[in-house]
Amino acid sequence: MKPAFRRLLPVWMSPVAPAAFAAALGLAALLPHVVPFSAYVHNLITLTFISVACALAWNWLGGYLGQVSFGHAAMFGVGGFVSARVLVHTPLPFFVAWIVGGLAAGTFSILWGHPTLRLRGPYFSIATIGVGEASRLVFTYWDGFTGGSSGLSLPIDFALKRTLYWWGLAFLALVVFASYAIRKSRLGLALLAIKSDVDAAADVGIDPTFAQDLVLFLSGGVVGVAGGFYASFFSFIEPSDMFGFDRSIGFLLMAVIGGVGTMFGPVLGAIVFVMLQQYLIASMPDLYLGVYGLLVIFVILFEPLGLSGLGLRIARKVGVRFAPGVAAGTVASSAARKT
Amino acid sequence: MSHALDLALSAILLAGLYATMAYGLGLIYGVLRIVNLNHGGLIMAGAYCGWVLFTRFGIDPYLSIPIVVVLSFFGGIAIYRGLVRHLPRGAAGGVQSLLLLFGVWLVLRNVAYRLFTGNDVAIRTSYSTRALQIGSSSISVNRVAVFGIALVTLAALHVLLTRTQFGKAIRAVAQNADSCTLVGIDVERVYAITFGLGSALAGLAGLLGGTIFAFNPQYGAGELLKSFVVVVLGGLGSVAGTAAAALVLAVVEVFAIYFLPAYLTTAVGFVLLVLVLVVRPGGLFGQKVLG
Repeated sequence: MKPAFRRLLPVWMSPVAPAAFAAALGLAALLPHVVPFSAYVHNLITLTFISVACALAWNWLGGYLGQVSFGHAAMFGVGGFVSARVLVHTPLPFFVAWIVGGLAAGTFSILWGHPTLRLRGPYFSIATIGVGEASRLVFTYWDGFTGGSSGLSLPIDFALKRTLYWWGLAFLALVVFASYAIRKSRLGLALLAIKSDVDAAADVGIDPTFAQDLVLFLSGGVVGVAGGFYASFFSFIEPSDMFGFDRSIGFLLMAVIGGVGTMFGPVLGAIVFVMLQQYLIASMPDLYLGVYGLLVIFVILFEPLGLSGLGLRIARKVGVRFAPGVAAGTVASSAARKT
Repeated sequence: MSHALDLALSAILLAGLYATMAYGLGLIYGVLRIVNLNHGGLIMAGAYCGWVLFTRFGIDPYLSIPIVVVLSFFGGIAIYRGLVRHLPRGAAGGVQSLLLLFGVWLVLRNVAYRLFTGNDVAIRTSYSTRALQIGSSSISVNRVAVFGIALVTLAALHVLLTRTQFGKAIRAVAQNADSCTLVGIDVERVYAITFGLGSALAGLAGLLGGTIFAFNPQYGAGELLKSFVVVVLGGLGSVAGTAAAALVLAVVEVFAIYFLPAYLTTAVGFVLLVLVLVVRPGGLFGQKVLG
């Protein structure tokens, strides 16, 4: 690697990482041109991109910071409806509408999150159940903004729907890069420190309030952009779907399956989850809630790091040796503390 | 004026129920440092248990209290012994126990959907609609009974925790589990029984709530949130603090229902919580929850 090029990269980034990442992206971008997908598969992959982005964003809060959210659908809904309103009432291009939706969702998350993130222990998580439920109800009854139970229709653009594959891929690329960058940057280290011990983190000069709020804003904002994308993709959105509890569980489950707190586990988790969801909805629509529940129980009991943990375990069995810190670094605060 | 009196009365009666369910959540958190996310699921299970006993076997909901309490007590112990015990405790296990118990709740909900469908049901006894006349206001007999049972339960808990040897053990474990093992307290047993007690309180609250409100498998989510608000407001460890906080929540809610559109009332408890966090982050009374 030439020094000049090396200097372009941040110090924490190994030169192999961007190369492999670019190759994978290029492959995904060319895929629809090489393999003749059916429209169903094409759309499914597009939605998977969005799910992956949401799972990663959920993981910044739930994994890096260790504050599990049961209400991320609230930000998805706010982002979706704000973007939809922008698209319906202004001539702005769709990606600007998504960004507006993302900013609105991020701001919304700070609104309730700033006071509740100050709670120690797992109380923030219970507050998020309230946020999810309350915003679902409020937005369902707020006819003027969301169209109530009959939903909101956007102008349909068939040409756009197909190209959203590449927009989704670009969005995904951005979020994957952000996951890496956040984890490796000062902010990521601050989050890990706060997760282990807020007081100790504050003592070494970290501003926990700022770091927690910032990561919530980023997480909520990305999920909001995804909501806007979803609105453009389906041209019709409806509050009980956008704000649904099932959606919040979905984000959580993707991260849990892939490995909470790992850097890229949620990518894998989201892909598995989307496939599982397709199968469950088709074959046993009245049991999916219980299957999700059992899945969470089994993962937490037997492999708290999900598929990532399983992968590490298999790699170790096969004899791959990791540099110290690779395995431990994926799990934040592995030290069991008694309180 | 009489409206205000009516509302205040119904708030006081409701507070008994809120205190019962909140105490279950607070007890488990105080001793095990685990938030029992399955609290809502147990409340829902308690309500359905009473409903089945009433509609299938014709047992009056007030007579089925011992059955429901015993069932949810052992249900709680089973959940503790089978699942929760295997997780690390404290900060490291926080996220894991949260997710695990959330999974249990999802399973319970799915079971309820399968057995009872998603339709609303209610425990309607012959006296469900009877009312007492006090001055110009009329009060449901049922709500008075629920309030009375809640008071007796809380008093019994207070006696158990402050006047008995086992209560002393529970409080000792809450303070320092490691020292307890040194003086010969079986900490695991205390944990299991505390988890059972908290679950029994949730089951009881569900049964009592089921005699007042209609419910479906989603019942319990709102109640979990309300319990949480009461615990944060009232602090841990004191029956009086919990009761006072429950009263605050009930008053705010009941008066809000009078002035706000009905769909916004779910948000009321949450807004109250956020306000308390901003204005008085240590909670209103008792021991702080926030550290």
